[in-house]
Amino acid sequence: MSLILRAQVAAAAHDIVPSWPVASFIAVNPLAGHEPRPFETAAGPGVALTRSRDAYLAAADRGRIVDADLEAALAERVPDLSGQLTIGGTNVTAVSVAVLDMKSAQWKPAPAAEPPASWLDEYLATWVSSYLNPDPLWAMPHQQLGFFHAWRTLARRDPSLPRSVRRTVAGLPLEPDAALAWALVRLGVAAEAVTETLRAELQHLPGWVGHIKWRAEKIGDIDLTSYLGVRFTLMAAFGLTPLPPSGGPTRADEAAPTLWDRGEHVARSIGGSRVGREDIASVTRVLATHPVADHPLTWQKAYELHYRSTLVQAVTGTQRTDSRAHLQLVMCIDPRSEGMRRHVEIVPDVETFGFAGFFGVPVRFTRYGARGTVNSLPALLTARHHLTEHPTDSARAQAQVARGRARDALRRSTHRADSGTTTPFALAEVSGWLYGAISILRTLAPTLQARLHRSLTPSAAILESTVTIVDAFTLEERAAMAETAVRMMGIVRFAPLVVLAGHGSESMNNLYQSALDCGACGGNPGAANARASAAIFNDPDVRAVLETRGIRIPSDSVFLAAEHNTVTDAITLLDRHLIPPSHVDAAGTFERIQRTAAELLVRERARDLPGASPRSPARVRARAHDWAEVYPELGLAGNAAMIIGPRQMTRGVDLDRRVFLHSYQTELDPGGAALETIMTAPLVVAQWINHQYYFSALNPATLGAGTKTIHNAIGTIGVLAGHTGDLRRGLPWQSVGLGDRLFHEPMRLTVLIQAPLDTIGRIVSRNQVLRNLLDNDWITLTARNDHAAAWHQYTPYGWTVAPIALEGS
Amino acid sequence: MTMNNLTKMTRLEVVVPARDAPAIRELITSAGATGYTSVSGVSGIGHHGQHSGALLFNEYDTLTMLITVLPPDNAGELIDAVHELLSTSSGVMFVSETYVSRPDYFQ
Repeated sequence: MSLILRAQVAAAAHDIVPSWPVASFIAVNPLAGHEPRPFETAAGPGVALTRSRDAYLAAADRGRIVDADLEAALAERVPDLSGQLTIGGTNVTAVSVAVLDMKSAQWKPAPAAEPPASWLDEYLATWVSSYLNPDPLWAMPHQQLGFFHAWRTLARRDPSLPRSVRRTVAGLPLEPDAALAWALVRLGVAAEAVTETLRAELQHLPGWVGHIKWRAEKIGDIDLTSYLGVRFTLMAAFGLTPLPPSGGPTRADEAAPTLWDRGEHVARSIGGSRVGREDIASVTRVLATHPVADHPLTWQKAYELHYRSTLVQAVTGTQRTDSRAHLQLVMCIDPRSEGMRRHVEIVPDVETFGFAGFFGVPVRFTRYGARGTVNSLPALLTARHHLTEHPTDSARAQAQVARGRARDALRRSTHRADSGTTTPFALAEVSGWLYGAISILRTLAPTLQARLHRSLTPSAAILESTVTIVDAFTLEERAAMAETAVRMMGIVRFAPLVVLAGHGSESMNNLYQSALDCGACGGNPGAANARASAAIFNDPDVRAVLETRGIRIPSDSVFLAAEHNTVTDAITLLDRHLIPPSHVDAAGTFERIQRTAAELLVRERARDLPGASPRSPARVRARAHDWAEVYPELGLAGNAAMIIGPRQMTRGVDLDRRVFLHSYQTELDPGGAALETIMTAPLVVAQWINHQYYFSALNPATLGAGTKTIHNAIGTIGVLAGHTGDLRRGLPWQSVGLGDRLFHEPMRLTVLIQAPLDTIGRIVSRNQVLRNLLDNDWITLTARNDHAAAWHQYTPYGWTVAPIALEGS
Repeated sequence: MTMNNLTKMTRLEVVVPARDAPAIRELITSAGATGYTSVSGVSGIGHHGQHSGALLFNEYDTLTMLITVLPPDNAGELIDAVHELLSTSSGVMFVSETYVSRPDYFQ
């Protein structure tokens, strides 16, 4: 085994972002490997960083970008652009000259088309999917030998390979390292060029390569050395020379006019026929500071600044009130919670808070009737605590598990009969009428079918149970979790009823279901974490410890867990058997408030949801059970900002379900430890999600998963577009667009924080992840010391007063 | 201090971003090292500036220090491999002589 070669493979794969399986979809920035470098350097083959010129001009026409935004963007990107000049007797500013140029100069959008797959890519994709598919009709033989060895054993008899290649394969070393080393020598790759050559080949099949990297770290049944071993030995056997992927990044100025032409056009648009050569020369000197290649990102910056200006102006400066609320609702920072919180807060004495949807309780969770466990925690963490649940009626639970096993056995045998060679005919004869009737019912009356299914499958009913927090955590751990949550959220006074609502989505026939669940819970519904958190807060021992730390939870305060269904907008109270009699009325009041809020929110969402009408909320809710529905909900489409601060900043403001809202009070966090946790965890997760949407919207063919309508699942690993090819990355088109139109506005995350600027600055300076994101323009940060202070913008050189300018909108 | 009853070994300390630690761990185990120590969330100041150390809800963006000890004859290839890996990513490696009382644990 060559250690140097292993190191070269690891170095070549360094910037590749691991790709989670679709069953536990984790939103990631597909270009995260570029984050240590400026955003504008991340463009590559088939990767666009911005929208097209036409899209920006259309945005300018409808007032979505105004001249003040362009001027602010230019001031930020081209600080030298200042002063005035006289063109044909007219005085103009240099910035306005550059704005005129941006509106007139042509540039070519970077193509985001998928590069054509080579024969080798198709061949490798077939073998990798055969090896990894957990549920194929015919399992790949020799899987236990590992990918390279299994392929080598089978490829010797693969009739799709020429005889000479098969002979070469038969003579290959058994170990992938040795085979890769042999192939590199055979291909004549010089020692100093090995890493670059490997890196270039890893750019082919980026979906499979990203998933193999994830698998190598989390499961270990395949690694990139094995994959490259197969790839390079085939290349050597066929005599293919390693080449970088075709079609390097397209420069925006490829189709641009010359600097003189630009200058003349702008000068004449200002001074008309009075313009002379000296005027044109003056203009060209200005325009030279802002070449056409920089125009796309300046447009994008202006597009984002306009949104930020609108957002900052909407945020109010109201101070906190100290009266005790009757009800407090804590929801995930997910932008979908914003709509629910806004409608619930119509009732005056209701307070809401935003917190990461795992409620600070990272667990691996096992349900009493489940086959396995789920890691219900952010992808940034490793599961260290195992939470289980215990049904209160164990005899009933055992009976239910037995019924569930019988159902599973029936389902498995039906699946086997359905997947065999001849048995499907017999199955269709015997049970086709039943499945046909169910299919018709499911198609024409999905809600009725779902109701019938629930009533006929008692094994799926949820039994009364409790989660085992005492087994999962020590008292000190429980108290620390509760204290952290209180300080991060900034709860000063506790209401008699505090509802902790996780969230989950509900849809049928949706391979991307996990992408609609809670990102902070590892792409799972957040009910388990909410239940554990409520149990921790209700624990008298925990409350006693908290009191010694200055956090007093009144004895009449009760915490209840709930789950927000983001398709139907119902919030269901969980563990109802644990509601004390004294709080039954309060729980009922909450349910009434929530039902009203849900009705309003469903109608509001129906305005944006393709094919929906605010007049028929029932049909919006029915999408949860409709197996033909490709838009069960819009997920986090539109996400654009994150606000960290007290809810008083945004209460009563319609943020259009576009903002991650994390509650925070400086007063409860004098040292800034809670703010550092927020900025290094929830903010990072929000940024991952934001960039996933950003790049899936701009590059649906290469960094997005394309349209759902042609997806084929590879087990629970991922999807292919069609029957072969690369594993698709990112979000499907139905998460960001409709027809050929985007409904997600691709904007890099705008972060607003209300906290002392020096505290924020210290946190940024000691965390490289934040320095990378901010100094390299992957996100922006605007902050103010308190509710009465001016907004300041973070720059690598310090804080500057944030340009908040609107014009004509 | 006497080293009479101790055996000379080579000690490697590698500090890398936590996301790069699996690759280093793989190299260490592939080199035949019988074990390693992993310290997550290390803090300090280096070439890329300050690092705050352990973060409450983010193990992914912290630094990890990996320490391994192996016989000098086996160390060269691992040192070359880690050097190669660090040539394209951030991280530092410290190599030093060390002495152990139970050499059989490290061979």
